[in-house]
Amino acid sequence: MAASERLARLRDAVGGDDEPGLSLAVLAGAVAAFVSLPLVGLLVRASNYGFGHLFGLLTQTGSLDVLANSLVLVFWVTLGCVLIGVPLAVLTVQTDLPGRRFWTVVAALPLVVPSYIGAFTFASAFGPQGDLADALAPLGVERIPAIYGLHGTALVLILFTYPYVFLTTRAALLSFDGTLVEAARTLNHSRWEAFKRVTVPQILPGVTAGALLAALYALSDFGTPSIMRYEVFTQQIYIAQRSLGVPEGYPALLSLQLLAVVAVVLALESRIGEGDASYVSRGSRQPGRITLGVWKWPAMAFCAAVAVLSLGVPLGVLAWWFEQAGAAVFDFEPVVAWNSLKVAVAAALVASLLALPVAGYAARSSSLFSTLTDRLTYVGYAIPGVVVGLALLYLSTEFTQSLYKTVPLLVFAYVVRFLPQAVGTVRSSVLQVDPKLTEAARTLGRSPFGAFRKVTLPLIAPGVAAGAALVFLTTMKELPATLMLSPIGFETLVSYIWLVRGAGSYGAAAIPALVLVGVSALSMVVILAQERYNG
Amino acid sequence: MRERQSQTRRRFLAAAGVASTTALAGCSGILGSGGSDSDDRPTLADFRGSGEIVSDRPVPGGTSIEDLPDLEGELSIYLGGGEGGRYTTLIDLLDQYYDGFTASTQTQPSSQLANVIVDEYESGTTQADVFWSVDAGSLAYVAENGATLELSSNARSMVGDDRFVTDQWAGVAGRSRAVPYNTNQFSADEIPTSVDEIATADRFTESIGWAPTYGAFHGFVTAMRQLRGDDGTREWLNNMLEQNPARYGSEYAAVSQGIANGEVGLGLTNHYYPILVFANSPDAPLDLAFTENDAGAFVNTAGASVLDGASDADLADLFVRHLLSAEAQEFLATRGFAFPMIDGVEPVGPLPTIEELSPPELDLQSLSDVQPTIELLEDVGILS
Repeated sequence: MAASERLARLRDAVGGDDEPGLSLAVLAGAVAAFVSLPLVGLLVRASNYGFGHLFGLLTQTGSLDVLANSLVLVFWVTLGCVLIGVPLAVLTVQTDLPGRRFWTVVAALPLVVPSYIGAFTFASAFGPQGDLADALAPLGVERIPAIYGLHGTALVLILFTYPYVFLTTRAALLSFDGTLVEAARTLNHSRWEAFKRVTVPQILPGVTAGALLAALYALSDFGTPSIMRYEVFTQQIYIAQRSLGVPEGYPALLSLQLLAVVAVVLALESRIGEGDASYVSRGSRQPGRITLGVWKWPAMAFCAAVAVLSLGVPLGVLAWWFEQAGAAVFDFEPVVAWNSLKVAVAAALVASLLALPVAGYAARSSSLFSTLTDRLTYVGYAIPGVVVGLALLYLSTEFTQSLYKTVPLLVFAYVVRFLPQAVGTVRSSVLQVDPKLTEAARTLGRSPFGAFRKVTLPLIAPGVAAGAALVFLTTMKELPATLMLSPIGFETLVSYIWLVRGAGSYGAAAIPALVLVGVSALSMVVILAQERYNG
Repeated sequence: MRERQSQTRRRFLAAAGVASTTALAGCSGILGSGGSDSDDRPTLADFRGSGEIVSDRPVPGGTSIEDLPDLEGELSIYLGGGEGGRYTTLIDLLDQYYDGFTASTQTQPSSQLANVIVDEYESGTTQADVFWSVDAGSLAYVAENGATLELSSNARSMVGDDRFVTDQWAGVAGRSRAVPYNTNQFSADEIPTSVDEIATADRFTESIGWAPTYGAFHGFVTAMRQLRGDDGTREWLNNMLEQNPARYGSEYAAVSQGIANGEVGLGLTNHYYPILVFANSPDAPLDLAFTENDAGAFVNTAGASVLDGASDADLADLFVRHLLSAEAQEFLATRGFAFPMIDGVEPVGPLPTIEELSPPELDLQSLSDVQPTIELLEDVGILS
């Protein structure tokens, strides 16, 4: 919500709102239809089974248990992210915590650890017979609490997704007007009262936005629950799609249920967003910092504990594997990395190309159709990768057998999933281009395409590049669709990690896992640079 | 058997030393620096590596690769399981042996691949030429669903024992269930020859390790269901629960390791997992026993079949014959500690031959019936 408000404001600032040409609308519509194909395919497939059959499956199978498990997980992850992310944001923005800049970076960093690598390392460190159990055994500790199941899954997801809440809350805290707090204070409110009556309502939209991201992530993540052996939708869909003796239509039923939950979460978020009519003041004045006094010690202990768990454990375990593995650490073949690179570049190129008409149209038009195409391209973002994978398996085996398990289909899956990232960055850079410049080029005799190429494109190039980089980096890390759609013999870093994890040869996973953490770190740099670019 | 067992430990140690050196030899061979031959073709030594126990072994009998027609062309292989990369190492050796042959693989758990193969067959999108799987149950499942082609008699006749071959698939590497135990906690005399005694004798209470979520364990319970019915199996499982066994996630990294560490006294695993533990810790107080005539000693096999819809079915069939060649069988015996499937190749030193074991009579086709096993395990409360 906040984003679209900002866009509206930018649009006003940019000036007139001439409706763009029909051809752009048609192009944007075509892209939206194209990337909505998997969803359509899934619905078609589900309708083939018949409503009665699917409804019967609801009660016959354990799908309601899976629903309950997923909801419980989302609840705890969202709550945990808020409980960690919000205090960290307040501490780093509004208090005199020593080393605030350092803690800010450290608190955001866990986002660079792909959650399945986090889960993998946690299971290795804290599992029964894990490294920690081994280390504690001489000290007389016989059993450590089991890491598998709900609490392990929730713990790992919280540790690697709380930065969403941290970052959005931080942004909200930074942008709100400190004079309001001072005003409240002069009206004799205590610090706590002022925080509750002024700060909380101001940052609530930011917290909600972060919580939404965390909730959607918890719903869509496949690797963590699989490794932590907790039965949720994504993990069950993956297993059910390829196990012996599963009732027909069960994976499709699970997918539909999962999408329904995603829809409910999105609807809830938009209601909360709409209900928020708080006064937005863009003052740059910061409120007076809260003095922590002796509380700075527990505060720093809190920051450090989160950092040790979310950064120290995974990086420590990876380094330990690396050291332990000896020569086996170099077991994997370079072609594996090359394959990852190829599909990620292809996905980035295709996504940027497709993003241009959608973003251009969305930025220049306020019509209903423009909103619709814009929203449709976001469908893939809300649909978990495992569902996109399942839908594309259906579509290809039913209608386009020649595409089944081919690289183009795999790239298409990535584009469906990550196009919104490209659309988002391209759209905001298009909004910053004064349409009068294009008009000037047109009056000087350029064709619409020529004007775009000569005037608009050079101006939005940095935004397009940033969008492409984001798609590239997220594709490198994508897990479930990669596992489901990869052609025979086509191994990527991700599928290789998954394979050696299953075989228990952790040492061989060390290098590819470290590469992926590095790649994720780069994507953070791109995101941060892009935010600066947006002003 | 008993006398034999008491000697096995020392000999396993030797075998374990071999396992690590052959692995290195294999690597350098693949990189082309190990072979002294001018044409860089892997030799028998590359297939089985070198070492004390291997140097005692005679040149394997059976059909040598040299006597088989050349592999020529591209082959896609679905690898169900894959034994921690051993199977891909063998494929790499064959790849290297023939200039005109390349193979690409995809590895997934065997039961999952079986389902993928059947789905692909039914939608006309068959991807692979060969299904090479670690268990006969998944091979049988694929064959029962019509997704395989008949093997040539040339391929079938290579398998020495009728129990391990059908029209549709051929066994390439035997694996027995076994009872590894900690030699500090139990002597060889104390290990019973029946899984029932393990489930009932007081001396095993609180000292058994098992991995009830593991595929190999599901195969074992499926075998037991075929042998004594669901009720008899349920009774055995309930008796086992009374013994309060320690629960592990895998039979290799966990159960066998747990026995070696002394966390538990004995366990139920496939026969080669404890041997793999020796490879990492040669001093482990670990030995291996086999029960007699029950599911605790049933012998399963890894095997291969040619898929209906294969782009080159003849090449696929010839590949299966290569898996049954003297060199490949030697590889599987010395590096995977498997029971060879052809006459003329013996299991590695310390292991008995299949003939010396007393496995139960069991149709391996029946191992595809895994779903009722899962339901039974859930019902008894072992799987949630």
